[in-house]
Amino acid sequence: MNSAYLTYAGKRLAQAAIVILLAYVFTFVVVSILPGDPITSVLRNPQNGFSEEEIAQIVAAQGLDRPVLEQLWSSLSGFLTGDLGLSMRSHRPVTTMIAEVLPSTLILATSALFLALVLAVVVAYGTQVLPKRYGQGLLRAFPSLFLSVPNFVIGLVLIHLFGFQLGLFRVINPDSAWATFFAAVTLAIPISAQIAEVLIASLDHEADQDYIAVARGRGLRPFRLFTRHLLKPSSLPVVTVIALTIGELLGGSLITETVFGRTGIGSHVQRSVSTQDLPVLQAVVSLAAVVFVLANLIADLVYPLLDPRVKLLGARTPRSPASKPAGASAP
Amino acid sequence: MTDRASLLSPTRRRLLRATSAFTALALLATLAGPAATLADDAKKEGGDITFLIDSLGDTWIPNNSAISSFQGHIWGHVADKLVYVDAQGQASPWIAERWEQNATATEFTLHLKQGVTFSDGTPVDATAVIANLDIWSAGRKKEGINPIFLFPKTYERAEAVDAATVKVFFKKPTLGLIPTLGYHGSILISPKTIAQPATEQADLSKSSGSGPYIVESWKEGDHVTLTKRKDYNWGPAAVGHTGPAFLDTITYKLVSEPSLRIASVQSGQADVAYNASPQELSSLKDEGFTVATPRYLGFVNGLAINTKLAPYDDVKVRQALQAGINRQEIIDTVYTPDWKLATSFIQSNVPGATDHSDLLVYNPEKAEKLLDEAGWVKGADGVRTKDGKPLLLTLHSNPYLAASKSIDELISQQLGKIGWKVVIRAYDVVTFGEKVKFGGVAVPAYEVTRSFIDAGTVAGILTNANNGENWFALDERDTVINDLRDKIASADTLDARAPLLDALQKYVLEQGYFIPRTEIVQRIYVQSPALKGEVYNGVAYASYYTATKSEVGQ
Repeated sequence: MNSAYLTYAGKRLAQAAIVILLAYVFTFVVVSILPGDPITSVLRNPQNGFSEEEIAQIVAAQGLDRPVLEQLWSSLSGFLTGDLGLSMRSHRPVTTMIAEVLPSTLILATSALFLALVLAVVVAYGTQVLPKRYGQGLLRAFPSLFLSVPNFVIGLVLIHLFGFQLGLFRVINPDSAWATFFAAVTLAIPISAQIAEVLIASLDHEADQDYIAVARGRGLRPFRLFTRHLLKPSSLPVVTVIALTIGELLGGSLITETVFGRTGIGSHVQRSVSTQDLPVLQAVVSLAAVVFVLANLIADLVYPLLDPRVKLLGARTPRSPASKPAGASAP
Repeated sequence: MTDRASLLSPTRRRLLRATSAFTALALLATLAGPAATLADDAKKEGGDITFLIDSLGDTWIPNNSAISSFQGHIWGHVADKLVYVDAQGQASPWIAERWEQNATATEFTLHLKQGVTFSDGTPVDATAVIANLDIWSAGRKKEGINPIFLFPKTYERAEAVDAATVKVFFKKPTLGLIPTLGYHGSILISPKTIAQPATEQADLSKSSGSGPYIVESWKEGDHVTLTKRKDYNWGPAAVGHTGPAFLDTITYKLVSEPSLRIASVQSGQADVAYNASPQELSSLKDEGFTVATPRYLGFVNGLAINTKLAPYDDVKVRQALQAGINRQEIIDTVYTPDWKLATSFIQSNVPGATDHSDLLVYNPEKAEKLLDEAGWVKGADGVRTKDGKPLLLTLHSNPYLAASKSIDELISQQLGKIGWKVVIRAYDVVTFGEKVKFGGVAVPAYEVTRSFIDAGTVAGILTNANNGENWFALDERDTVINDLRDKIASADTLDARAPLLDALQKYVLEQGYFIPRTEIVQRIYVQSPALKGEVYNGVAYASYYTATKSEVGQ
């Protein structure tokens, strides 16, 4: 059992390392294919008026005219020894730049995930206890509604309503509590929709099981029934969805951070993409890969805690229980 | 509720409690923040202002920063210049108290103000000035520190006569030196900062200038907060104040969404919004906000024509283009009356600019006549053709100027009426830089937005002499323009240069080498009425060194 677990963990870690490495190389290749380089595009601004010769000199001095493979090699060897290098645009160490903004994104992402979970559970609870005819239909429409409203629209509406009209927060101070709260709400809404959708389907499935009928027959009140008997067995697919939404959380934070004017990982992504700042982009992509891989690893390790039927047998763990209903797959 | 909790196993209950407590704390901790900030704002005497800006550039290495578009706002408060150049292009003393030049304008002696210090304590003396001149001129390319483009390429060296006197030597006459010393790129930075490697220079908090403000805090892509330097007393006399600044702090805050910048000023959450869209200005004025559209010294916004590319090798076609554009309609449709008609190809506030409005009159009949003479015949579809080829003009909208594409669309309509077929290409900044160049193979017209401080540099840029940019792809073919260029370059007094500059402007416009659109406004400020007394310099940057903020309007 123990050695099986170690083999399993080792395999997963090796997989994770390969994913991260591939993400790093892939980013490099994509950016290298694009025309231009970050230094030239700044120097070519007609305001600067550098001649092509001068630009070529400066580009050469920065080593950007070297063969692509040579550049990849030097960047990769730096990465493997933990040196993320210097940003091509700001000339600052990439590590410093990431460290500066990481807390802000972490606060936003964790609050958003927490809010999304609360919202999803509340909506899902409603679909189980409210009268079928009135409340339920409305609540069951919530996930599709939440998913179909673009993130930035929600953000702008919240900013105008609570920032400008009600004056709850200063728009220019996006790290304040209320601003953080509304940014988190913006980010949480589409994510809660996905969680809610899966949770509702799973709850529906469990609610039809005999043991629930028995529990109901014993006269259990709806809230007890929900918390004690329904929620836990239904939460397995939810864990899978959460692990997958971590990616969405990072992607969504890009838009939310831009709309709310927060300086975070998202704003670095946006800037480094538009300016082809390769070292920063590679660092951010690798960071995203690490987070994504870790989240999925944790999800895999949580399954056995939630459902004793899931066992680590040295082979790949089933990502969802055998009893998972057809409708419960992620949208 | 209590019995529900007891049903959970002890470990999980603890975990649950810990997680909820942590999240609640995280939210609460951030809640405490803004209340304190708001209370502080009201108490301070000198006042604090927030300036919302659409970018804070990429790097803070002084030579490399986007000093002509964004970071110049910050450098203008953190660093001083040797010379002050006002909105009319007049140069006056600042850190250089006075200056002399030799008869051939190849040697300049600068006498420095005494007692001036950088914020790191280093004196602003001859040694410091020479260190700055050297790095402006050459940069440190291996380290990735660029030279300052507009610094005269004729620079040879500088030497200290004594602690307060610097002598600057040039290989050729360089009348432009003095105004260039007041250009936004020519900021005096402490020699200690200059000696630092590029990575250190990139950290704004490690840079020291001698300006009225110092950097209190900054975060990349987020904000820069400046705080008043209390011992400052060497402001430029031209702005009417030399002591410490009035406002306590200035915060430049990046807000990339334009509507949020404006709405924040409207709701009193910020004091200045930069780069509003021209269409919004009149309603903002009606609401009582101060709207400033200062013009910088430089070229007007217009098209440099590629004379190598048919049919623009034909002077009549170029002249038809010059007469076929209705510039007043551009101002009426795309802009507001804050924009001015171009009267030459350089902005009218540049010393040496002369009025050639007569050459820029909208005259479609004249344009049609010129095209007829050049052999372009109007077809049934209204497009003129010659030898089976349509009269084509490809315009590449300048991605650095917001209204550029709208203007191109309007010009396309205007030229369409007289038989032109206009194709508009709008590229992003990177593609534009790759594909669109002066005199490029598929670029009949290059849209110019460029500031400069001395009109003497213009002639050199237009032609290909001394690494010039050869804007009209004339190479050495046009002897008239070459002759004017050489005479302007060797002129040793401004009086001798003035008639030559006038002749150059007339000739370039007559030949249809440059097709002006409008005078350019690249910096638009929308400001709270409570903030008053700011000064705009020759590159249209607002300085809040002289500004004050009243309590009303909060």
